[in-house]
Amino acid sequence: MRRRSSGARRSVTAVAVGAVLALTATACGDDGSGASGDKGAEGSGKGEITFWDNNGGVRTDIWKEIIADFEKANPDIDVKYVPIAATEYQSKVDTSIQAEGLPDVGGVGAAMLAGFAAQNALEPLDDRLGKSSLNGKLNDDMVKSLKAAGGGGAEDSTLYSVPTSANNGVLYYRTDLFEAAGLEAPTTWDAFYEAADKLTDKDDNAFGYTIRGGAGSIAQALDAMYGQSGITSFWDSANEKTTVDDPKNVAALEKYTGLFKKATPAADLNNDFTKMVAQWDSGTIGMLNHNLGSYQDHVKALGTDKFRGIPQPTGPGGKRVQVSNPVDGLGIFKTSKNKEAAWKFIEFATAAAQNSKFNESAGQVPSNTDAAKAAWVAKAEPTKLAAQALTDGSTTIVQLPYYLPDWNTISKTDNEPAFQKVLNGSLSEKEFLGTLADQLNEAQAEWNEQKG
Amino acid sequence: MITKDIDTVAPAVPAPVADEPPQRPRKGRRAWDEAPRRQIYLPLGIYLLFTLVPFYWILLFALRPTGSTSLVPWPMTFEHFDKVWNDRSFGTYFENSVYVGLATLLMTTLVALAGGYALARFDFKVKRAFMLALLCSQFVPGALLLVPLFQIFAELQMINSLGSVILAETVFQLPLSMILISGFIRNVPYSLEEAAWVDGCNRFTGFRVVVLPLLRPGLIAVGSFAFVHSWNHFLFALMFLSDQEKQTIPVGLNSLMSADSVDLGALAAGGIVAAVPVVIVFAFIQKWLITGFSAGAVKG
Repeated sequence: MRRRSSGARRSVTAVAVGAVLALTATACGDDGSGASGDKGAEGSGKGEITFWDNNGGVRTDIWKEIIADFEKANPDIDVKYVPIAATEYQSKVDTSIQAEGLPDVGGVGAAMLAGFAAQNALEPLDDRLGKSSLNGKLNDDMVKSLKAAGGGGAEDSTLYSVPTSANNGVLYYRTDLFEAAGLEAPTTWDAFYEAADKLTDKDDNAFGYTIRGGAGSIAQALDAMYGQSGITSFWDSANEKTTVDDPKNVAALEKYTGLFKKATPAADLNNDFTKMVAQWDSGTIGMLNHNLGSYQDHVKALGTDKFRGIPQPTGPGGKRVQVSNPVDGLGIFKTSKNKEAAWKFIEFATAAAQNSKFNESAGQVPSNTDAAKAAWVAKAEPTKLAAQALTDGSTTIVQLPYYLPDWNTISKTDNEPAFQKVLNGSLSEKEFLGTLADQLNEAQAEWNEQKG
Repeated sequence: MITKDIDTVAPAVPAPVADEPPQRPRKGRRAWDEAPRRQIYLPLGIYLLFTLVPFYWILLFALRPTGSTSLVPWPMTFEHFDKVWNDRSFGTYFENSVYVGLATLLMTTLVALAGGYALARFDFKVKRAFMLALLCSQFVPGALLLVPLFQIFAELQMINSLGSVILAETVFQLPLSMILISGFIRNVPYSLEEAAWVDGCNRFTGFRVVVLPLLRPGLIAVGSFAFVHSWNHFLFALMFLSDQEKQTIPVGLNSLMSADSVDLGALAAGGIVAAVPVVIVFAFIQKWLITGFSAGAVKG
């Protein structure tokens, strides 16, 4: 026999459940939008600001050090530091844009800049930089790269992010294995392929190279393609059609993917950078393409005398062509209630002393030109060589279209699985690049149309 | 023909002779007796190999020094544990995760108990629709609700509070928990409660004295499920918590991987810190958990 509940009992139950749920609403929360005050205000230049680190965790210590220095120099400003893992940063910011829960300052690298700017989430910084002591002290190429990535596409577009550092593609190679095999440093693509072949001995689990087949594979494949073909622009002269499916690039990709399983482990099919770096650091693999960011991992695993990190090999005519790596930077979100204090923090963090400290820890190329002259840069060989390559005119950089709002989708979600098919042999390089070119051309046409 | 069948299926055992030592079983018979064991242990061993190799890999990276390529964790080091616990704030993350896990467990169990009792013992007009809504709510991914949830918690001044995560976790756990608990309560004869009322108990006392003790397997199943789910859940903690001091273990683990570099030793040590409580919880409650789920499955 079942009994029908009375209205009074239902009410009591509802109140009880509501009370239990309300108990969790502890008083220590906030409204998600930082300090008190009006949204989007210049603020008093004092009080608390919130800073979201776009590569939290490994850089937490150095940022805390910089923040401590900043708070010492600016005792009336407190910085609330929030480390967010790089893999989750974009989704957290995108959600927070919709939910109006953005911080005051955040890491804004070139790869994410277009998306944030398109959502009108970022504060233009040109005027502030123009009046700042930083003006003229920042690496011009990095500033231009961030301006171009901000959605305008041109180097004179709006600046939404002040550069902190640049990464660069590096070819790491095992000097001990090269010496044992009597090989020269792989400074040219021909030497690279020769070494990949000679260092491979599958029976002994030794391989010449480790290819990136998983997450992040497209940028690395593009780097190898343009480096070998010598093509120096991502778009044709009319800026409408991409050059990725140029026959020279197709031939270069065929040669590059031909290394898979012949000179690389078969497991490379699913290699993201984590697996690729771990495999190289703990195995017998001759060469690895990654960026400056993993240098410290290699030092920890191999010491400094078993490997070197050099710029990408040179191609036809001894010229080096590389695709651009995203420049990292700091931006102010439009909803900040204390933009003056936020700007003070950015100024402080990108000034010579702090910028040098940060990049020494991160192993990257400083954005502040004075910081780039610091003694540690000359001692860290890959950083020194990367800085030289980026500044001495020996390298042509193919600017990837970070300004396209669809760039991340095209270069990751849409085409990484297709690249695995290429490695597996179920899709030809020509078909793969043809599809990629169609998607890019369409995105570029849309962007051109929106831009008018 | 018949004799052969009998020998094969049930071999005759010779009667023991008083002065002779007991005879060893024949080889063929021993092989026959042991065959089922092989059939159990061989696939079990292969399965365990697949399951345990990743765990061994985690242990190996957590216990061997950075840069070592040894396949055994020797020389052994605890530097990675020290690093994640002290330098990477895993001590704080651990406390927060325990707090979130236990609070979610408590709230889910209490509310599911009340709701499950109502579903099991009362008839009301929208009961079917309500049950359907509970089931349908399971099909909505949490990620879809992030923006509205964020806005609700922001209105309630609960962003950056562990309460927001506890509340969100509880709400997402409740539908399944209520359905499970209502199944357990239905299995307790209603006449037992009625007998308690005849003896002078009110409904609550009758429930507490007669029904509640019989629900122990179900409560343990639901509670442990709520705890483990909230312990492992990443998304709500990532989105609703900002202060490093308030983040939980899954977010802390994620932060050990940067865009270009990963400390595998620290990641493995962090993984062990994250896994140990769950393993301990399951080791203690597995008997009740299996009883609980099977009871719910068969009789619910």
